[in-house]
Amino acid sequence: MTGVDIHALAGAYALDALDDVERAAFRRHLAQCEACAIEVTELCETAARLADATAAAPPPQLRGRVLAEITRTRQVGPASADTGRARAGTGWRRWAAGAVAAAVLAIAASGVTYVIQEDRVRQAGQVQAVLAAPDAVVQRAPAKGGGEVAVWTSQSRAARVVMLDGLLAPDAEHAYQLWFIRDNTPTDAGTLGAGMGNGVRLLEGVSGGSLAVTLEPAGGSVAPHEPLLATVPLG
Amino acid sequence: MSRDGDAGAERGTGGPPLRAVPTTAAADAPDADALLRAVARGDERAFAGLYDLLAPRVYGLVRRVLRDPAQAEEVAQEVLVEVWRTAARFDPARGSAASWVFTIAHRRAVDRVRAEQAGADRVRRVAASSAETPYDDVVDQATTRLEQQQVRRCLKALTELQREAITLAYYGGYTYREVAELVGAALPTVKTRMRDGLIRMRDCLGVSVG
Repeated sequence: MTGVDIHALAGAYALDALDDVERAAFRRHLAQCEACAIEVTELCETAARLADATAAAPPPQLRGRVLAEITRTRQVGPASADTGRARAGTGWRRWAAGAVAAAVLAIAASGVTYVIQEDRVRQAGQVQAVLAAPDAVVQRAPAKGGGEVAVWTSQSRAARVVMLDGLLAPDAEHAYQLWFIRDNTPTDAGTLGAGMGNGVRLLEGVSGGSLAVTLEPAGGSVAPHEPLLATVPLG
Repeated sequence: MSRDGDAGAERGTGGPPLRAVPTTAAADAPDADALLRAVARGDERAFAGLYDLLAPRVYGLVRRVLRDPAQAEEVAQEVLVEVWRTAARFDPARGSAASWVFTIAHRRAVDRVRAEQAGADRVRRVAASSAETPYDDVVDQATTRLEQQQVRRCLKALTELQREAITLAYYGGYTYREVAELVGAALPTVKTRMRDGLIRMRDCLGVSVG
């Protein structure tokens, strides 16, 4: 997508009318475009004003429930938010760049650019196909320390897409690793790049259990280290 | 046309003349911002004040998108607890506290709607029910509150396609691709109408940030 094309999405972005892939791409664009960021901030503010016209009396019991729940809900600090925001815009690009980098290391020869790009496009296409599948269902879980993990599952595509969104970015020596957990047995499901708090992974197969995220030394571990930062049940 | 005639056309609905107030989120902005800053420091009483100020619009917005009051209640609760949990992340340089809260609410509602219903089914369902016109709902529910009247007036000032694109996306929770299918317009047209429609709304409402 070119800069001009993507900039035309500013309105749709402000209205939450993009799918997850386009949204990630747009946020990457925003991180690089100061002028766009101002426009988008104003359009988001404008879109939020549309809420003014929807005011309705909430059910009376809601107030008591919310006020009770906050007394047992821990608040997050501003630091993780800054990291999350700074990282959020770059997640998709970093994921794509990471996929390419891995391929480059594996092949390390001239004349392979075409193959690598094909692979990246193929994987991005598969991600999009899962997200767009009519039977796609999403499960989300908040991550300890901020951000969330979402897993889209499409039985018809026999694949899942995992998105880590706005997790606290680890230092350059550590990385988030994904695990399938079945019958209390973890299986490696891939590792994000070191220092990355955002990422997307395509997982083939739809066996049950749950998906967990841990923080591991860069490159990943053979077994997960406690604590589990997020656990998403897989339907 | 007489001067009176012009004035009548401007206000459109026969109500008192309205002027755009050159602030964000109108009169409640300073309160919501101050309350949210206190909430970020763990002030539960400030949170109760913020609840009273914003919960009607959080609940109303979520219900508008989801249509199901029971689900709306559940999602509104999630949103309001999330506001408590992440209050320290609010950055006043990026907009008002009220819009930050409504942005979270809208995002959650849209996520819920998209997770639960396959896009194609949703489009078919709505396409089949021609009675569903979100804009009319807006008009029905408009009250005497200044902000609501402003939004209503500014929506009326849009072209029909701008208004449809914006209300279907925001109140209906549709992606712009679904909106294009619903209104029978080309994708680039819908994208453009969403953007220039919002720019027109921004100018009409007098929204400025920073």
